[in-house]
Order: sequence, then C-alpha cells, then structure tokens
Amino acid sequence: MERWIDGDENANQMLARVFMARPFLLPPPLHGVPLRVGNVVELIGPSPSAKTHILSQTAISCILPERWNDVEYGGLDRLVVFIDLDCRFDIMRLSEMLNYRIMEVEGVVDGDHRKTLYNLCMSRFLYIHCYNSFEFLQTLKTLHYRLQKEEEAHGISSLVLMIDSIGAFHWVDRATAFLPPRDSSRKNLFSQTVSEAVVQEIKKVTQMHPMLVIATKSTIFMDRYSAASNVAKWNFIKDNQQAERVSRNVTRNDQAIQYREYMPSVWQAFVTHRILVRASEDYRVMSNHENCSFYTLEWLVPRLNSSERLVVKDAGIFVD
Amino acid sequence: MAPLKSLQQEYPLVDSVFQAFCASHGIFSVEDFLLYDVDVLISSAHKQSTSQRLNQGINQLLSIIDALHRPLLTGLDLLEDSKRNKHALSTGCQGIDALLEGGLRRGQLTELVGPSSSGKTQACLQFATTVAKKYMGSVIYLDTCNAFSAQRIAHFVGQSSDPVFNDQADHKPLQKVLDRIICYSVFSIFQMFDVLHQLEINLRSEMFKSDCQVRLLIVDSVSSLITPILGGSGPQGHALMISVGFLLKKLAHEHNVAVLVTNHMVGGDSGTCKPALGESWKTVPHVRILLSRDLESNTCTFSIIKHPSLASGRAASCTL
Repeated sequence: MERWIDGDENANQMLARVFMARPFLLPPPLHGVPLRVGNVVELIGPSPSAKTHILSQTAISCILPERWNDVEYGGLDRLVVFIDLDCRFDIMRLSEMLNYRIMEVEGVVDGDHRKTLYNLCMSRFLYIHCYNSFEFLQTLKTLHYRLQKEEEAHGISSLVLMIDSIGAFHWVDRATAFLPPRDSSRKNLFSQTVSEAVVQEIKKVTQMHPMLVIATKSTIFMDRYSAASNVAKWNFIKDNQQAERVSRNVTRNDQAIQYREYMPSVWQAFVTHRILVRASEDYRVMSNHENCSFYTLEWLVPRLNSSERLVVKDAGIFVD
Repeated sequence: MAPLKSLQQEYPLVDSVFQAFCASHGIFSVEDFLLYDVDVLISSAHKQSTSQRLNQGINQLLSIIDALHRPLLTGLDLLEDSKRNKHALSTGCQGIDALLEGGLRRGQLTELVGPSSSGKTQACLQFATTVAKKYMGSVIYLDTCNAFSAQRIAHFVGQSSDPVFNDQADHKPLQKVLDRIICYSVFSIFQMFDVLHQLEINLRSEMFKSDCQVRLLIVDSVSSLITPILGGSGPQGHALMISVGFLLKKLAHEHNVAVLVTNHMVGGDSGTCKPALGESWKTVPHVRILLSRDLESNTCTFSIIKHPSLASGRAASCTL
C-alpha cells in the first residue's frame, strides 16, 4: 500500500522521461518530419544512392556534443549503434566527415582540443558487422547487455540504432526456406521466421534502450520486374499468399520510380517512416568540376509533397 | 553452431532435462534458440518445477552466444584496425593509384566492370604483378576462363623501372614473382566455394606467420561463374551469388586481403550496356570501376561508378 502511495519517480526523472519521448528533428537530410524514439525509419534506394552516407552523417550529428568547452557544436550528445549487414562500412569516410564537422566550427585553433573531441566522438560510435542472419540475431539478442555496459561507461544513453542494410540476407534466407524442414512443427518459410525474430528482438532492445531505428534497404529488383506483365513470370509470386511483395509505383515529376517490396510483411508493418533516395538525373552534367554527386530524397510515409536535392561533397551531405 | 546435444559435454548445465524442456518448444539447436523468443522461454521455465536450473541453462546458452560473437567496436577501434591493417595496395599505375587514393584497399572488394576486351584481365595481371613484386605478398588468382598468362606477367616484370630489381639478375626476380602468384583454374561456383573455404582455413592457421602474407585475391571473372546459375524461378542462384559475395568480403575483412573481381557487360533494355549480375550484386562490392578502352590509342580509362568516399564519374587513363 505504502509503495503504491509513494511516487514512481521524481520530477527530474519524469522530465527526463518526457523529454525522451518528445519528438525531435534530426539534422538534414532527415529533417523533413519530426521523429521520436521508437520510430522505425526505412531508407530505400538503389545502390549507390548515398544511403550509408546519410547514416554516417546522422551518426555524426548524434555523437557530437551540443556544447563542448564553451564551443557550440550543435550535436545531440548521444551514442549510436551501427549494425553493418552489408559489411561495406568505411570508417575512414566517417572519420573524414567528422573531422570536417569539427573543423567547421570557428574560433577553435587548439589542435589538442580538437583531438580530444574527435576521440570522444569516435568512441561513441559503436559498430558491429554480421555475415548472416544468425549472427544478426545473435547480435540483437545480446545487444541489451553490451549496450548497458557501454552506456554505463559513457554515462549517456544511445539514441539511434542503424541497420545497413536490412535486406542484405534476403536471398540467402529465401533459399534456406526451400530446404526440407527437419520436422513438421517448424514453419516452412525461413525468411518469414527470421524477420519475425528480428522484429521481436529489435522491439525488445528498443524497450530497454529507447532508440530511433534507421534501416536502409537497397532495391534489389530492377524496374522491369515491377511491370505487372512480368510479375507473373516469377514463380515465387504464386506461392506467396501473404501478398508480402507488393509492387509499388511511385510517380513523381513525370518520372516513374518503381521498387518492389521484398521484405516480409512483419517487417513492413514494423516500419513507421519511409524515405526514398535515388541518383539525380542531372548529376553527370554537374559533377565534372568537383568531387560531388547529386541525389534526390523524398518522404513516402508520411507523404511530403516536396522532394529534396542532396549534394554529397567531401565534407558531407548538403541540401540543395 | 551446434545441436544442443553436442554442447552437453562442455557445458554441464545443458543437460538432458534442459534439452527435453527445449525440445518441447521445438528447439534442438542453437539456431532454433536464436529464432525463439527468450522471454517466452523464461516465463515457460518458471512454470516448471526445476525452474532455477532451467533458467541457468538459458543463461548459459546466452553466454555461449555472446562468446561466439565478435565484440561491439567503437569508432576508435575500427579506425585503428583500418590504419594498421587496411592500407591501399599500389596497382603499379600512377593514374589509377591517384584515382583510387592509393590503389586497391585491403579489406575491400573492388570490382572491375567492362565490355569484352576492355582490358579487365590485363589490369588483373598487372595488379597481381605489382603486388607480388612490390609488397612481397602472395597473390591468389582464381582464373575462370583460362585467361591467365605467365608470359604476360613476365612481360610486366621486365617492364619494371625499378633499378634495384633489374640489377639482381642472378636472384631470378621473375622466378620470385611467379612463385608468389598462385593460380587456380576454377570452372564452377562450387569449385570456387571449395577453393575459398580452403583458403580461409589456410589463412586462419597461418595467421601469425607473416613471411609471405596473402595480400591480393583476384577472381577473373566472377560473373562467368555466377551468370549460369542465375535465372530460373528459384532464389537459389541469387543465394549462391550473395553467399560468394559475403565469403569474399569476410576473407577481405578478417585477413586484410584486397579482393579484386571482374564482371562483364550485357545488353540492357534500351540498347545500352550495363554490368552483368544485376541489382542484387550491386550491394556486394565496396568499389566499382568501369573500364573502357580506346582502340586507337590503346589506352584504358578507369572511371568510378561507386566508391565509399569518392564521387562517381571521376576517371583516369592508363596504358596496359
């Protein structure tokens, strides 16, 4: 009874909790919609379309402190977890972009100051790579304990869980589904089972550590397969009762961009926000004189009517 | 990973009672355990009379998984590994080295794409020669179309402008270079899996001997092995392709080997040429380079299609 009358938390804790749940704006290029922890953002695009770049840039904004030694850096001052399923992440690029960001801030010439800040930020970036779905599940199952350790060591909590890219093992898992099941009680569709387990584990981790999830997904089907007449050629559509691979046509600016959904429905239902990135048509004309490339980004869920042009330069991504 | 039965000897907590309990949930192996919701398992264990012992068993399994898995790395760890082990290997052609910021990066998978007779094999032979000569490292060359030519390598060695190298005629420099290039003729994807797995085992056992490390792994051409298994209705072809990709990236990353593969071009929808192997393969390589050859001047142009830190469209020329 006494315990019931006692408050659950004091005002400070409550404020911290409320602030945590409040939506926040990520820095560009993901600034279109306010996001909150617990949201799952899917970043769709062909390869290459600067998806990993966008992740790196967002990661840098998260690991940078807001103020440090009386200098304004405007970061979010949190940890970032990066799960690399494509095994293509290049740390040198992240380090380069981070250096640019630190240099950008005027008024600091002290090399030591920069070096300490750089090291602090780099140690807040947590990375792991996986070569197959089981390793991915292992990672998620044990992530809670590992994160707890890191959060205690750093004294700050993690803000974003990045997955690059979620469909990496799609083909391998699909083929595993065709192996004869060892006993009849098992579900036949392996990729379905794996996705269910993955979603389940991510839910659990984000319950313990409130985080925003950003996952990239490469479009692995070519445009022509999405055309309705050709879909029938693909046999697996027939044995797909859950209608999990719906073809979508997105028309914008008189340009039909088509991608076909291939992730199981359980993952699709888990996603709360969807963003499409693609290479911009006119990039070839412009990119001759400088080391930069152009991409377009548009929000599919929730639908925003404007698409943005992104420029990737040495220093990072800029919105045109 | 193993069936639970085989764990019994090493971990006494995984006893027959625990196994029977797991079997009642359809869990026979560590993989099954990974796919299962741990919370459900724990709450079900609470209902049993031996709940404490069962819980210990579950924790034991979790810690086995944890020990199997690689640790969560911070950005600093990654950077250190990258600086220490993932140098770029010079290709022997200044233009290309400048284009790629030093050459072929160890730990990365580089893909050369080009139409027939655009100089892909010549580039492979040239790069192999340079690495064998300059870095004293061994080169594994998987030849899938009988295109490997020792004469051509002898020619490249003879071209060498390195005076020290030419002076030591009695040391048989050519012999040494050729000794370091190990060529395998591979004609099917399964043979390639065999060779790569064997290579992985060898590399792991020789990890601490550093006299003649494997620095470069070349597959010329990877597309000629993969194209025959693609197509058809099932996902098996694509699964094998992605598995090869992951195996190559694993070798590259774990053993600090630079991997170079070649891919041919096929006719696209609108009459233009495009790289073979389609959209799914695009997610595999770190770096993608398009090769084209000007027949009159006999120069090869290397242009970047995809790179973690460089914009696409940049190009360099070289005579092979």
